[in-house]
Amino acid sequence: MSDILEQVSTAIIEGDLDEIVDLTEDALDEDLGAEEILNGGLMAGMDYVGVEFKAGNMFVPEVLRSARAMKMSMEILNPLLVESGVQMMGKVLLGTVKGDLHDIGKNLVGMMCEGAGFTVKDLGKDITPEEFVEAVKEFGPDVLGMSALLTTTMRTMESTIKVLEEAGVRDKVKVMIGGAPVTQAFADQIGADGYASNAASAAELAKQLVSQA
Amino acid sequence: MLPKGKLPVVVIACQVLEEMLDRLLPEHGRSVSQVTFMDYGLHRVPSKMAGTLQEALGKVEEPSLIVLGYGLCGNGLMGLKAGKHTLLVPRTDDCIALLLGSYKAYRHEFATVPGTYYLSKGWLEAGSHPLSEYEEYLPKYGPKEAMWIMDMQYQNYERLMLVTHTPADLVEYRPAAQQVARFCERWEMRYEERVGSDAYVRQLVEAAMALSQGEELSQAARRDFIVIPPGSEIHQDQFIR
Repeated sequence: MSDILEQVSTAIIEGDLDEIVDLTEDALDEDLGAEEILNGGLMAGMDYVGVEFKAGNMFVPEVLRSARAMKMSMEILNPLLVESGVQMMGKVLLGTVKGDLHDIGKNLVGMMCEGAGFTVKDLGKDITPEEFVEAVKEFGPDVLGMSALLTTTMRTMESTIKVLEEAGVRDKVKVMIGGAPVTQAFADQIGADGYASNAASAAELAKQLVSQA
Repeated sequence: MLPKGKLPVVVIACQVLEEMLDRLLPEHGRSVSQVTFMDYGLHRVPSKMAGTLQEALGKVEEPSLIVLGYGLCGNGLMGLKAGKHTLLVPRTDDCIALLLGSYKAYRHEFATVPGTYYLSKGWLEAGSHPLSEYEEYLPKYGPKEAMWIMDMQYQNYERLMLVTHTPADLVEYRPAAQQVARFCERWEMRYEERVGSDAYVRQLVEAAMALSQGEELSQAARRDFIVIPPGSEIHQDQFIR
């Protein structure tokens, strides 16, 4: 890896806001392509963050800072990526089901998915099945991520999937679910395509689901 | 199958229930052979909870009825093996129902305002609340960055609620709770108070006494508690009502 990519990756891991913008521009000045900086610098850094977060060696504040650094660098790279016609990973739509607020975990999932190269739209909390259907039609995501915090509201994921089916859009998206009480067994039971136990795994899962499609 | 005959009662519980259990258990005299309170912070890393609790279970030599003073706690209890013991667990997502006094009361509060951050005597004493979290980040990140981290996590919460078990505790812990409430005003969280009840924990202790005597649980108790016989383990779906 070139020195500058290594520095970009380190700035991501450390969530270093003072450095990341300059380093991204330095990398471009060294004639590295936007895609190369994205893959070799930003994503390499976020991959490391994901692994360390999953292992319990990095915590929420650090992941938030890394994700924000990633975002700042992406603001510079994005127009260039679009210009050069680089295929992004795909689109992820997120939301917490009706009657629930599961914000911290879901926000992290959004950030980690952006870090993995997805375009992310977060509908927020307390989203009705109908609102999910509407957003799937409008936004056209590859992956829909739903979260719930309690065993009671968890069931709304099942009814949301049913409403997606009734609206004829279920086969247009891969559905992944998560949240405190959710398990793989529950995901299987309600016909979701996948489950992730933490934000880093969710980004990994989204990548897998997109490659299956 | 549950073992026939009498079993010694062992309690392994989160510190958040310590005060209630310390008060309720002596009513049953010598029938409780051992009480262990586990660190508050255990729930912060649910993936490590079952391992830590399994270790605590392993230290109980005689086949016993082990009362777990926990909820599902973010799947933290999942996979916990009873071994030679019988386990008794409240059928609840987390400790809030135990603090409020019933699962129904928790459902009611959650349905009213899902974005509620709960404070209890235990959490206040252990310094587990947004204000102490901010103070923890302050030296590491500086005021602006520490506040950004807080905003990212709490900006969508709507309510802060102090739950105690007696009106006297409410008066005693109100100043500390209001200090947290003032801090949370930046997210427009409103402050409320509830005098909860020890009913759920009391029923837990009563269910333990009945089981340890070889009695069956009532139908109502079977709704509120999960019994894991020897050789089985805890699954998430047992917590679904």
